[in-house]
Amino acid sequence: MRPEACAAAGEALQVETRAPTPDATVREGEMEGALHVVGEVGYRAASVRAVLEYSGAHRKQFYEHFGSLEDCFGQAYEAWIERLGVSLLEAAVGAGSWRESVQASLVRLFEFVVERPTIARALFLEVQVAGGAALAKHEEATERLGAALDSVRTEIAPAEQPPESTAFFVVGGIEAAICDILAEGNPNRIWDALPELMHLTAGSYLGNEAAEEAFEGAKQLRERSAAEAQGR
Amino acid sequence: MTHLELVDTEPRDEEGPFSAATPLPHRLPPGRHGIPANLVVEHQRLRLIAAMGEALAEHGYAGVTTTHVSERARVSTSTFYKHFGNLWDCVLAAYVATADRLCERIEAACAAAEPPLYGLAVGIEAGLAFVAAEPAAAQLICAPAPLEAAAIAAARRLLIARLAGMLRRSRGGEVGEAPAGIDERLIDASLAFLCARIGAGEAERLAELGPELTALLDRPRRAAA
Repeated sequence: MRPEACAAAGEALQVETRAPTPDATVREGEMEGALHVVGEVGYRAASVRAVLEYSGAHRKQFYEHFGSLEDCFGQAYEAWIERLGVSLLEAAVGAGSWRESVQASLVRLFEFVVERPTIARALFLEVQVAGGAALAKHEEATERLGAALDSVRTEIAPAEQPPESTAFFVVGGIEAAICDILAEGNPNRIWDALPELMHLTAGSYLGNEAAEEAFEGAKQLRERSAAEAQGR
Repeated sequence: MTHLELVDTEPRDEEGPFSAATPLPHRLPPGRHGIPANLVVEHQRLRLIAAMGEALAEHGYAGVTTTHVSERARVSTSTFYKHFGNLWDCVLAAYVATADRLCERIEAACAAAEPPLYGLAVGIEAGLAFVAAEPAAAQLICAPAPLEAAAIAAARRLLIARLAGMLRRSRGGEVGEAPAGIDERLIDASLAFLCARIGAGEAERLAELGPELTALLDRPRRAAA
């Protein structure tokens, strides 16, 4: 992904930089609690009571911050998906070529999925159940990441441009793979999908040769990481 | 080939009372109708399965209940529970029935094509026609399954494997063999693509997307010019 495309996408996101007040910390805990509970038991079974148990907040505080559980989930979703989006774009900016930046973003995304699988289930899987404001934020985030992916079009001749909806297709494919692995309950398996998803991404824009190179590159990275993990 | 037939939802006899060619009435005639009890039970079950997709389209996973499904199928809630243990059992039956119908349509279209190959464009056209005609049912099989419904996630994986097999056959020997898992990712991406389009209310226009979806599925396996 081109750095300027990633930076532009990142600028579109408003990130809170002020030091949090005690009240903001409680609110933040409630929001994390909402995502955790939804990711743990599913959106349908989630309750304010479970959020309060997770966050340690009081019911009165919760309703001072949010109108309902749905409201809390929507606001939590917006905050977390934006932070994740910024993190993925930062990973891309730090890499070299388009292919390397795609891989760096995917690695960052997979690290998040493995470290916070419960939150990831809420962000990727249960948002489809929740719908509403959260799903709208999900679609905005998807569009921003798609726009960053699409930056490679400047390197493709006009006659060779991929279909208009390629970014949409690729981001959907990546997300579907994450959902599938989260549903299976073994988030570490996401690393096995890295070569396949690099093939999907590079191939959808640049054709088979680039797909195979991306596949091999990701496979080698995967093998190196596994060897390093064993050596530790 | 992996077959997705966890539940036999439709009698295969084309001439039978519940064959695909026979429209399913909303309910059987009241009073004494002389219809054998086993057929009445089967009819109720098929109505519940058909109602599941519609109820999901209206209420979403967040709001759908067994009462919504029973009301649409015009049966009582207790009848619902005679057929299914819970809501998710009914969703699974609807998922499998819809997935089977989609695969059958694609396979039939490819078999009828001249020459009788699994042509990618022919298969996609048939698949998109199915989605356009039955958007509620199609949305059910395209969307990721919620956490509470692990069996549906498993059924989705079977559907993806079956469609990926068709995609591989559609290429014949034209291109080299892809690494394992690539075609499954392409199918996964296609289902996500269709899910978003249906969700955006564009189901009726999906047939127009045939050439684009064909290009999206074909491009990663083609050499750049």
